[in-house]
Amino acid sequence: MSADKPLLDIRELSVTYTSSNPAVTAVSNLSLQIRKGESLGIIGESGCGKSTLALSIMRLLKDVRTEGEILFSGVNLMDLTEQQLRKYRWEKIAIVFQNSLEVLNPVLTIAEQLEEPIWAHEKLTAKESNQRIIKVLNMVGLDPSWKNAYPHQLSGGMRQRVLLAMALVCEPELLIVDEPTTALDAASKNEIYHLLRDLQKRIGFAMILISHDVAFISRLTSQVMTMYCGQVVEYGRTSDVLKNPMHCYTRGLLNASAQFFRYKDLWGIGGKPPEEMRIYEGCPFAPRCCQSSDNCRKSRPELRYVALERQVACHKGGIETFLKAEGIKKSFQVKNRVIQAVKRADIEIRSGEVVALVGESGSGKSTLAHTLVGILSPDEGSVYFRGKKVENHWASRMMEGMQIIFQDPFSATSPRMKVLDVVKEPLDIMKWGSPEERNEAACRALEAVRLPVNPEFLERYCYSLSGGQRQRVAIARALVTNPKLVIADEITSMLDPSNQANILRELKGLQNRFGFAMLYITHELHLARKVADKVYVMHEGEIVEKGDASEVFEKPKHLYTRQLFSEAFYEESKG
Amino acid sequence: MQHKSRMRIIEYAITIWVIITLNFLLPRLIPGDPFLVLSSQEAEDEEIILSEEQRQYLFEYYGLDQPIHKQYFVYMGELLRGNLGFSLYYKQPVSEIIISRLPWTVFMVISAVVLSTLIGTIIGCISAWHREKWVDKSLFLFMIFFSEIPSFLIGLILLFVFAAGLGLFPLAGAVTHFADFQSGWSRIWDVIHHAILPVTALTISHLGGTYLLGRNSMTTVLEKDYLRTAWAKGLSQSRIIFRHALKNALLPIVTRVFISLGSLVGGAILVENVFSYPGLGTLMRQSVRVHDYPVIQGIFLVVTILVLLANFLADLVYKKLDPRVSS
Repeated sequence: MSADKPLLDIRELSVTYTSSNPAVTAVSNLSLQIRKGESLGIIGESGCGKSTLALSIMRLLKDVRTEGEILFSGVNLMDLTEQQLRKYRWEKIAIVFQNSLEVLNPVLTIAEQLEEPIWAHEKLTAKESNQRIIKVLNMVGLDPSWKNAYPHQLSGGMRQRVLLAMALVCEPELLIVDEPTTALDAASKNEIYHLLRDLQKRIGFAMILISHDVAFISRLTSQVMTMYCGQVVEYGRTSDVLKNPMHCYTRGLLNASAQFFRYKDLWGIGGKPPEEMRIYEGCPFAPRCCQSSDNCRKSRPELRYVALERQVACHKGGIETFLKAEGIKKSFQVKNRVIQAVKRADIEIRSGEVVALVGESGSGKSTLAHTLVGILSPDEGSVYFRGKKVENHWASRMMEGMQIIFQDPFSATSPRMKVLDVVKEPLDIMKWGSPEERNEAACRALEAVRLPVNPEFLERYCYSLSGGQRQRVAIARALVTNPKLVIADEITSMLDPSNQANILRELKGLQNRFGFAMLYITHELHLARKVADKVYVMHEGEIVEKGDASEVFEKPKHLYTRQLFSEAFYEESKG
Repeated sequence: MQHKSRMRIIEYAITIWVIITLNFLLPRLIPGDPFLVLSSQEAEDEEIILSEEQRQYLFEYYGLDQPIHKQYFVYMGELLRGNLGFSLYYKQPVSEIIISRLPWTVFMVISAVVLSTLIGTIIGCISAWHREKWVDKSLFLFMIFFSEIPSFLIGLILLFVFAAGLGLFPLAGAVTHFADFQSGWSRIWDVIHHAILPVTALTISHLGGTYLLGRNSMTTVLEKDYLRTAWAKGLSQSRIIFRHALKNALLPIVTRVFISLGSLVGGAILVENVFSYPGLGTLMRQSVRVHDYPVIQGIFLVVTILVLLANFLADLVYKKLDPRVSS
């Protein structure tokens, strides 16, 4: 870290709106620092306290109780009177407000609204201030002749430029930009991006950029902060955070951003932020988090360093690794020959993730899967489930453990068993609860996969079910233990495309709802591309490539992967 | 824009025509007869009952025996020449009577509008500025209380206390009759002195409305995004209040001022009678009592045209104040 003092240093800031009953804390215990010329992005859903933070830096909020310190160049803005604050407002800290029809005064000309901060803060002649506003209008790429217009005569994009010009007119040291791209089309958005980038380079102001447009943040900032319920839940270098988010919430935000994924389906973060009224004892994100446990609801996690330049507020230290396999080797003896099915495989699956394991038939995918759940024991290497070594099937014999859904639904479900018995079998094996509770759990699982739960269906024998139904029964059987990790081994390969699509969408939906992690093993690359967050490519018993789904699918590095993809996506590469 | 203002003028013309037509038709639809009672100075004292022959004569004289469409054309024609008819009671052309009375009413109404708007807006803004604090709450209660008292009652109270009781102001009239004024100034002072009580009564009765409007308007404006922008810019408080807030808050007030002129004329009629102020109000009351239709018609016509004129002015002023309207 550089030795120079931060320009803005916020220490343990809490902002509570006292006008509502009960009082609402919009920002709680937030600290941040920005140095000269730096840029910080703040992301988060609406209502997470981003704008409250921006306004409280300028001390613009009324009816609030504010605690903590806001140091600007060493001066605590919290101690200043309204009169003293005027010297900081606009001259040192300016804000580009969120674009709305009424953000500019409708009855005053653009020129007057641009000029008045100059009159308030600097002693310039009328001619000089006029020159200044022409300069800033040119700077933001708006024809100076517009200065005599009224706000309603401008388009949304032009208004955004005026707001920007207005913020720059007194050459502030810190610029706060609040949602600059909402309601702008792609072209205007891009122009605003270029403007902000160039202006910052030229003028050298520090910038706080608030946006829920993660792509926009990624292009303009060096640091990024994720806010949830008034708290910082993740903080780090923008490129690192966006590439490898370590808080489930940040990851959820990224997964909801269409710009990052060309193929993957969009999924928002399930659930809602807690009601503002309620004061949460525990981690505010716990109700929506895919890895929360009881102690998450007991106390609020603090922001802690989990890696170099990365802070996360999570009791689990960020996104948890559910499954880790290291150096897995597995070979079979067939007569006199030794077949090395898995030569060496390392795999890591984090909570809430869909990891696709792709490769052609016979590349060792299923062997690896079976080794991971413990059906086969590895010759070398070890498997860890939530940090504990997997031995004697303990991880697949517990509630909230890991479960495998087999490739062939016909052999995976015994044709001579009834539907209900098949589904509750895992519970029977681990002797969970009372028989009634097991039946209920089985019915819930069947409902989750949209199968009927009437007595006739429950009493049917599996041989009488269709392929699609049997596959659903197999999924229900896995879900009945409420697993944290599901290994789905070619579950859709034997189905027709429509059933395939339905099952896959439902499984992904269930995954989104229950938050389990999934290892999705398939040779169908098109399907993998739709759902995967991470991809492992297997070839002749070896993992030859792994990485973010978007990256691997966009730019495969390994020769084999390229070949595999070029065959699979033949149609696309032709176009 | 050209097209728009032309449309506007046509609208006004049509409105005036409709009003004139109604003005022509209404008295003729009212049951009763203008010639049943021809009164002298005091209608109650002596009632002159006309004989059937006299009535017949008068009907012919005023053209009331003509078919209705002929009467209408004659009426319109006369109007275009500025002839509002001849008073049955005052035995004078209606236009002359109205012209002699009109300035007093206009003077009173305009003074009351200006005063009530100014005071109401200022108090309203103070109230909005201190919203939900005791200043606002007590002002609110006080103003609501006064705005509920009818204007003539306020007039009566003022008359009893300040004119009859304390003798500070004249009891009636608009000028001291037969006075010999030393200078123009003393004459003006005399007029003002007479006008103070009636204008005050009218102002007070109107104040509640403008106060509430001023308060609401200012409260709305104070919560607008552009006000937050103004604060963020570190402008002085006076600039924020007057340039940013008030200029916007005034817009609905301006419209209201002109629209309220009509209702103020109504209030003026009552107040004038309390103070025997020689305006249209007193004239109207007398004319109604003696069924002097031409005068009543004339007053209606003049008042409606004045109200329309006020609306027209409101449009013009609004355009000046709000740039969004003109484009």
